[in-house]
Amino acid sequence: MNTRSISFRLVAWYAGLLTTIFLLLCAVLYFDLRYFLENDLRQAQSRRARQIANTLLAHVKQSGETYVVSQTKDWFEPEINDRFIRITRGDGTLVYVSGTPQDGSFDSAEIPILAPAQTTEFSHKLKLSGGNTLLIAALNFKSDGNPDYLVEFGALLDPVESMLDHLFLQLALGLPLAVIIITAGGYLLVRRALTPVEQITRAAERITQFNLSERLPVAQTGDELERLSVSLNRMITRLDEAFQNSQRFVADASHDLRTPLTILRGELEHFAGDARLDAELRERAGSLLEEVAHLGKIVEQLFTLSRLDAGEAQTEWTRFNLAELAQTTSEQMNLLAEDKGIAISCEASQPVAVNGNRVRLKQVVVNLLDNAIKYTPQKGAIQLRVFASNGHAVLEVVDNGIGIPAAALAQIFNRFYRVDPARSADAESAGLGLAIVKSICTAHGAEVEVQSAVGQGSCFRVKLPLALD
Amino acid sequence: MVYSVVEIDKPMRILLVEDEKKVADIIVRGLKAERFAVDVCHDGQSGWEAANTYNYDLIILDLMLPGLSGTEILERVRRKNQSVPILILTARDGMADKLKNFEAGADDYLTKPFAFAELLVRVKALLRRGPVSRASVLRVNDLEIDRLSQNVHRAGKRIELTAKEYALLEYLATQPNRVFSRTMIIEHVWDQSFQGLTNIVDVYVRHLREKVDDAFPVKLLRTVRGVGYSLSDGTEA
Repeated sequence: MNTRSISFRLVAWYAGLLTTIFLLLCAVLYFDLRYFLENDLRQAQSRRARQIANTLLAHVKQSGETYVVSQTKDWFEPEINDRFIRITRGDGTLVYVSGTPQDGSFDSAEIPILAPAQTTEFSHKLKLSGGNTLLIAALNFKSDGNPDYLVEFGALLDPVESMLDHLFLQLALGLPLAVIIITAGGYLLVRRALTPVEQITRAAERITQFNLSERLPVAQTGDELERLSVSLNRMITRLDEAFQNSQRFVADASHDLRTPLTILRGELEHFAGDARLDAELRERAGSLLEEVAHLGKIVEQLFTLSRLDAGEAQTEWTRFNLAELAQTTSEQMNLLAEDKGIAISCEASQPVAVNGNRVRLKQVVVNLLDNAIKYTPQKGAIQLRVFASNGHAVLEVVDNGIGIPAAALAQIFNRFYRVDPARSADAESAGLGLAIVKSICTAHGAEVEVQSAVGQGSCFRVKLPLALD
Repeated sequence: MVYSVVEIDKPMRILLVEDEKKVADIIVRGLKAERFAVDVCHDGQSGWEAANTYNYDLIILDLMLPGLSGTEILERVRRKNQSVPILILTARDGMADKLKNFEAGADDYLTKPFAFAELLVRVKALLRRGPVSRASVLRVNDLEIDRLSQNVHRAGKRIELTAKEYALLEYLATQPNRVFSRTMIIEHVWDQSFQGLTNIVDVYVRHLREKVDDAFPVKLLRTVRGVGYSLSDGTEA
């Protein structure tokens, strides 16, 4: 999964944020409820302690301690109601303590007698050996003319704790479930929102120089994505226009140059072939004719490029063996290499089937070999290799020639680009050979790349899709 | 009028429809030097009228014409069911154009800028309606080329040639003394993908020279600078 994709980041943020909010909410709920319930219990106990003090102990002088004890037992029935009640005098001697409740949840004897405190009312929690917790509210009873008493009234905290535990469990189980549902829902929503983006991307990827007339799908939703696709379409329209203009320019220029070239060539041929003229004049005419031929070649290659731009290489496709094509081409060009003492070795024994325009792909081999021969010094070596690799047909032309400077590598396939304008080997070429190679490759959905080191040689590699069986 | 016999003395009559006056001039001059009678029209309308009125042995048509286009003239001539051979001259050489015009009834097609030699070869081929020479043995001076066995002898001595060298020599020998441009040779001996690679012709001619000429005092392979190569039969200076 791509962690940098918009959908991933959106869902991650959204899920993270919601989880945090949920956690906070649960914590507040849990602790607030806990505080509320404990407090409630505590107040109930101290209310009862106050009841004993105000209604019974206030009249202890008249009624006597025995009456207080019997009344307390009657009212609260501590053994039945699981309550703890203890009344002690100010000097620490016991007046009354409730017995062990019927369910045996605590043992009253276990609860220590507190040293008399200064505060009138206080409470404390007591962890018992049986694992239960007792919440005890205590009251220091002082009144003029009466002895001091300490009234303690306690209740088990366990019902509250078990309720809180249950809530905690519910939250702990519910939260991950909620997060999962939220994340899944968020993912689906984001996916739905981003589907048009996916469609626009796919449509944009299909657009190449050969189908600039196509447009991206526009979802009529009135949202940001509609605006995006509309403005992308406008951009493609402008690209299309610019591309057509430059294409038309090349086509027109190469077309319009042909007529004057025909005239120049025709007139000069007359001079060159007229035996009545003196030899030097004819020689000069011949020299001019060579230049006219060179110009003609540039015009021809420009025209070839403009036809390739117009999609010519995408017609007349056949399925053929690239290895065999490379082999015959290298044989046909061998003499050109031998003339410079260069050996061409061709490694293309395995058949490699591709689909394409055979004439144009042959031109790729011719141009690459011609280039290699041109830039490899006497006694050099050129290797031509064709093989299948990872679903691609690969054609490599490797030489040990002068190489290409790193700064020039990126521009080597540009029209009229020359590594060194002063280089003599370039003089007769137009600087269009590699541009033609690139254009033919593009039309075949092929990649062409170059690696080179100055003084060591170059490697041109063409990667074509293999023909499927 | 019935032509039952081709009149040898009567020059072949050619109609040239070409709006570029200078291009027309060059073609007319060249064709006249080859003893053809040539009529020239500089626009489509008069071209069609001339083609409609007279019986020509060959029509050379430019495609981009003011008035009526070359393709329209071609279609009109063919609709009248005329069997006159038509050679198209054009500054466009897209495959689609070529096919369209062949379908409309063009017999041959030449792209500008062309060497006059190319035009002449095509004109002559169209007028004769067939290969220039069908002889099984070509003889040029003391050179003998057997087209069936592909054996080459000079002054009785066997010369070993590679397939491409042989094809090149045979092509030059079909018309001795005629200059063949590098483009013509490339198209005939190699194929379209070698277009623009004319230096390959120079290399082959040099190899051919070593085998055919070096050992003999009379040199048959000639270079005409800027134009091309020819095989001389030794009669011309």
